[in-house]
Amino acid sequence: MSNFFRESRLFLLCLVLLGFLISAFFWSLSIGTVKLPLEKIYLAVVEQLLTNTPIESMDKGPIHDIVWLLRLPRIVLSAIVGCGLATCGVIMQAIVKNPLADPYILGISSGASLGATSAILLGIGMNFGENFIGICAFIGAFAISLAVLFISNLGGRSNSMKLLLAGMALSAVCGAFSSFIVYFANNKEGMQTISYWMMGSFAGARWNNIFVIAPIVIFSVFFFWSQSRILNLMLLGDESALTLGTDLHIYRQIYLLISSLIVGFVVYSAGMIGFVGLIVPHVVRMLVGTDHKKLLPVAALTGAIFLVIADGLCRIIIPRTELPIGILISLIGAPCFVYLMIKRSYGFGGN
Amino acid sequence: MEILTEAIKMCFGSKEILKGIDFKLKDKEFVGIIGPNGSGKSTFLKCIYRVQKPTGGDIYFDGKKIDEMTYRESALKLAVVAQHNFYSFDFSVMDVVLMGRSPHKKILERDNLEDFSIARNALAKVGMETFEKRSFSTLSGGEQQRVILARALTQQTECLVLDEPTNHLDIKYQLQIMDIVKSLNLTVIAAIHDLNIAAMYCDRLIAINNGRIFGVGTPKDLLTSKFIYDMYEIESTIYHDTKTGRMNIMYLPQHWK
Repeated sequence: MSNFFRESRLFLLCLVLLGFLISAFFWSLSIGTVKLPLEKIYLAVVEQLLTNTPIESMDKGPIHDIVWLLRLPRIVLSAIVGCGLATCGVIMQAIVKNPLADPYILGISSGASLGATSAILLGIGMNFGENFIGICAFIGAFAISLAVLFISNLGGRSNSMKLLLAGMALSAVCGAFSSFIVYFANNKEGMQTISYWMMGSFAGARWNNIFVIAPIVIFSVFFFWSQSRILNLMLLGDESALTLGTDLHIYRQIYLLISSLIVGFVVYSAGMIGFVGLIVPHVVRMLVGTDHKKLLPVAALTGAIFLVIADGLCRIIIPRTELPIGILISLIGAPCFVYLMIKRSYGFGGN
Repeated sequence: MEILTEAIKMCFGSKEILKGIDFKLKDKEFVGIIGPNGSGKSTFLKCIYRVQKPTGGDIYFDGKKIDEMTYRESALKLAVVAQHNFYSFDFSVMDVVLMGRSPHKKILERDNLEDFSIARNALAKVGMETFEKRSFSTLSGGEQQRVILARALTQQTECLVLDEPTNHLDIKYQLQIMDIVKSLNLTVIAAIHDLNIAAMYCDRLIAINNGRIFGVGTPKDLLTSKFIYDMYEIESTIYHDTKTGRMNIMYLPQHWK
């Protein structure tokens, strides 16, 4: 099998997935309370792309507004979030060398919820503007990542085990503070807001946010893709990597910072969306293997497709109501996970 | 390649594992390190392949201090087959072997046809060429160790370090791996538990006990009943086969007296 053939096969697979993603976009644009025929969506999309006028201009008719102002931002956001979460899942699993890791494992989720809880119940960061909950969650998530990194470097170099344990310890602390706030605030409405927020949603998608997040996520995916050789070495462990000429220490920290940045942005724009970052890397590994050169691009695209379809289903599965995406994904994700666990096609970190 | 160590010391806390080891490995020499459990032989090897940093002393590869070399540079000189290689992720055999090319590669460089042919040659050398697409975790212990050996060969180094590579393997694979290594005509330094195997393959043996060099010499000179008793507190008789000229150690533990 020639080199060219191998590489072109990966390219072809990515092309097919990209095709899937675009079809998912159109499917998702067509569904909802107002059913739109595909050709009108196509015209609206193409017209906007070609005319180069601001999206928000008024006089473009209802179809344009539904497509460009209501549905598309949300779909684009879900694709980016799926892409980011799947990538971060792959990276985190490599960083902590454990296939059960997900993007939130190193205390990021508890940091984010502590941020969100203090924003909702204590009103911290009200002056950050409309999405102050998201901003506080972002700060919480990122601060915890930095703290985990710092603690894991105390008393000798950090390694994957120390990172995991530091993450667990800080998670517990953040969880305690969140519960403390919830307990003493005694605010039923606020608690409800928190639990809605924890379920995640793409309803708050805005173009100006997307223009910030999309380049960061896409750039990071390409960055990590370029690092696939080192990511492969990470799975072998520190000792083997050293004998193969790479000291993983510094790379692990850089990767951790970049992926917590992505997760932070994801939390900021869509709340907590679990399971994507865990299941997608697993499923893709079953299809294309563990080599990150193939795994990363395929996982990124699959994650995007998965969330676009899941978000579409959330909008139609119960008539006139929207199901929070976290619920749907857990319903799909948990059985998948159990299936993977029973099938035991690979180690799961133990023998 | 030549390896020189000067007064290597290693402490974990207050416990001194290595108490100053001076040793010279000549080019194309096959040297075995023997010694009881906890003698420090594995620690000494780890210092050489840079997984642990000695607390005192210097190590030189071809006259160059290893502290002044990057990990990549040393990985181009010396490849390692260690005793335990368990991965919780499922790599294919080819993926594992190709990783041996990483010290040769720049950060963005991809594996090309040449890398694949080097990897395939290495697999053929260890007799695993038909296993290329198999998943590493489904292989038996002996097969896995041969794949790791192929990965070390793919590094194309002059020197090979074997850190108890044949532990947990049955006698067939132990001998097979040693045979392969011996046939490569590289500079080899290997920690070996089985004295008979050490005597069979090594040009020279270094015995380490209590963090010190306990004896150095060819297997025939070094391995005497007295020496084995002094080191392991086990009595033994040593036979020399007249036909092959090889030696065989017969142990005489408590039970047989």
